[in-house]
Amino acid sequence: MIFANKAFLIFLPIVLVLYHGLNRRTHKYLVLTLASWAFYAFVSPQYLWVILLLTAIDYVAGRMIEDARDDRVRKTWLTVSIVSNLALLFAFKYSMFAYDNLAWLGQDLGYSIPSRAWYILLPLGISFHTFQGISYTIDVYRRQIPAVRSALDYALFVAFFPQLAAGPIVRAVEFLPQMVTPPSVSAKQISDGLWLFATGLFKKLLIADSLDVLFVSPVFDNPTAYDDATHRWAAIAWAVQIYCDFSGYTDMALGIAKWFGFELPGNFRLPYLATNIADFWRRWHVSLSSWLRDYLYFPLGGSRGGAVRTYFNLMVLFVLCGLWHGAAWNWLAYGAFNGVLMGLHRAFDRLLTGISWADSLRASPGWKVFAWVGSSFQFLIGLVLIRMVDWHGGLLLIRSLVGAEHAAETASNSPFVPQIAGAPGLVVLLICLGLLGHVVGLLQECRWLRAARLPEFARSMIAALAIAGVLAFGPGVSKTFIYIQF
Amino acid sequence: MSESFAKPPSRWRPVVRLLIAFVLIDLVVLGFRGTWERHSPDDYAERVTGCAAEPREFVIIGGSPVAEGFNPEVVAGFEWKGQRLQNGYAVGLSGATTSDNYIGAIHACPTPPKVLVYGITASDLNDARKEPHGPYSLMTPHDWVEWASERPRSAEWVTRHFLQGKLSKAWALRRYRHGIRMWAATALEGEFPGTCPDAALEANEQLRYSKLLRTNRGYAPTLGFVKGRYDVAKAKGIKPAPFQFLDRYRTGEHLQYLHKLADWAERSGIDLILVDMPITADLDARYAEAFAEYRKRLGEFEAARGVRVLRATREVLGFSDVDFADVIHLNEVGASKLSQWLHDRLSEAGGGSRP
Repeated sequence: MIFANKAFLIFLPIVLVLYHGLNRRTHKYLVLTLASWAFYAFVSPQYLWVILLLTAIDYVAGRMIEDARDDRVRKTWLTVSIVSNLALLFAFKYSMFAYDNLAWLGQDLGYSIPSRAWYILLPLGISFHTFQGISYTIDVYRRQIPAVRSALDYALFVAFFPQLAAGPIVRAVEFLPQMVTPPSVSAKQISDGLWLFATGLFKKLLIADSLDVLFVSPVFDNPTAYDDATHRWAAIAWAVQIYCDFSGYTDMALGIAKWFGFELPGNFRLPYLATNIADFWRRWHVSLSSWLRDYLYFPLGGSRGGAVRTYFNLMVLFVLCGLWHGAAWNWLAYGAFNGVLMGLHRAFDRLLTGISWADSLRASPGWKVFAWVGSSFQFLIGLVLIRMVDWHGGLLLIRSLVGAEHAAETASNSPFVPQIAGAPGLVVLLICLGLLGHVVGLLQECRWLRAARLPEFARSMIAALAIAGVLAFGPGVSKTFIYIQF
Repeated sequence: MSESFAKPPSRWRPVVRLLIAFVLIDLVVLGFRGTWERHSPDDYAERVTGCAAEPREFVIIGGSPVAEGFNPEVVAGFEWKGQRLQNGYAVGLSGATTSDNYIGAIHACPTPPKVLVYGITASDLNDARKEPHGPYSLMTPHDWVEWASERPRSAEWVTRHFLQGKLSKAWALRRYRHGIRMWAATALEGEFPGTCPDAALEANEQLRYSKLLRTNRGYAPTLGFVKGRYDVAKAKGIKPAPFQFLDRYRTGEHLQYLHKLADWAERSGIDLILVDMPITADLDARYAEAFAEYRKRLGEFEAARGVRVLRATREVLGFSDVDFADVIHLNEVGASKLSQWLHDRLSEAGGGSRP
């Protein structure tokens, strides 16, 4: 039962009516917490104990950290919390990967390790709520926030269903203050919620799912059958698909939270307008990148320990960032690729900053366009790494991206007629639709377009048209949100 | 109270605005319903309303074997009790059971025809089959109540599909979404060739089918069946698609509706004639028990009700695999032969001699 599912469209109104029908704070939060656990149990019934156990551990740890006078006790409880979260995360997410590689290594060294005959399903949102729990106990340890005294409040903070499955990763400091009194819902929140839900649904079901079915999956699953121009279009289509899939989910999460009166932090700031890799990570999955910065990069020493240490920290940060997404070598490669790019960017930046001609060149519009093209090219290569079916196919796609020619092996098998330099017109149209928000954002950044709120009825009409578009033109069956699998 | 309705609390205004926007979109969609229906016809409704559009002299009902097998143009022109019957219509409801055919017949014939031919086959009477399209598309509240009270075991099922059908008609956008999609594919492909060729192909086929449904007295054979050759497919080693319509064969409930059809025909002064539809030898052999039970029931019905049954067996028609498109549907050649055969048999029957 995820947002684009019929069961959810029955579940949500029931929870909204119950929540808003109750008056007392405790009752409201109890309903919302139970609903969130039901949401979790609908997808991962066998793992309900995971979220309940970690909620209990982190709640107790938070209180013990706050109440303890001895710093060793505080540290012990913090360790309990971090280890519990990471241990379960590792067990569910990385044990298969670790075993497979140990077996492979062992066999290479002559040991007889049997191949894996077991499989572990990933509990819903484990990558997200474990990070949320860790950030909470660390913040309490750092005395940045008081420990939550009510178990119910803490349980709701962890399990709040709009952000449970795929984030954003909400910090306690962002969410708990909103819980002091049940927030009342304003007309603006309802209106913004409808807008976000409808546009999120449109991005996910119409743009992302259609691109996947029509173009991305056929090309990535069998790249040798297509020529180099089709490969380049497929990489762009995949970039738009993953953005629309994840930002569509986030939009819906933010919209639904608003209907309960809560404000969740945004996760995207027009990422494909980034002009360098550091800029990209300030715009893409912001709640994860800022979490990794605050709870991993800074504790490792950040940029305070000299150049070598800084580059090492950056590499650790991005390799772990890659692995957070998925336990596989291509995700590790994606993390390392981004770590190298970050290092190169940092070196380049430090080399040129302060040199007057370089500063003025880098501030010029021409350089910005050049930097944008170069950065976009880097993102596309990174994105191919995470979508490729195998290394051979991935390398073929990357070769096409860098300009190598490739003749389609079985052009007659093409499920579509190439129309616009390698892509069917409909795919190009969907790509343009997916990037429409970026174009509007760019025009606003350049001050060619005033950032103004559309009249309310126009917003309602666009929201209704978005839902109508999904109903009429969306693929019949929706695919699982990509980030729910992480 | 009236004041609170007149002025809703301001925070609900966005919801009201959204609902108004939906209503406006729906009205626009409804305004172009003819276009959407042309691009994605509801074949049950189209055939029933097409038949009911004018008084018919003879009507042929049945499932997909009738939809593919009888061309009313060829059947027409037979003598019936001193009158030449020309104006006929084939209400072939693909996937229909006898229950669906009964409901289809009573709605398709507001003016009783002189002759009603029911092209029946074993799968029509299989109680293991419950086909949702009939309740979804054809039933009136009266049909629903009748079904639910007479067949309590399937009351929940029929209620669900009946209500789903009614609800889908209340939201034009949902009802016509496939038609809108097909229209958009045709329009896009027309303006920018290559944009969505697969969807445009499907849209063109839907347009062709819709046109045939409206102009060809209900004879709108599926493109794949027209030129299909079961013998050729077999020679190529192509395995026939699974035919689950005769699985778990049992009769009883749909059979009741055959009696209801006979009662209705009798009350309305309609001459009811059953045609036992031809099937391939392969299907006959594969479901020998099911066909034996079906033929037994048909014989009992014929004896009990005195209804004429024309047995269009392969032997009588001289049919082989050449005349079939698959295990049960006739191709263009087979349909033409069967239609001519029916014309001849009806002429004989109408002249007073029992065939």
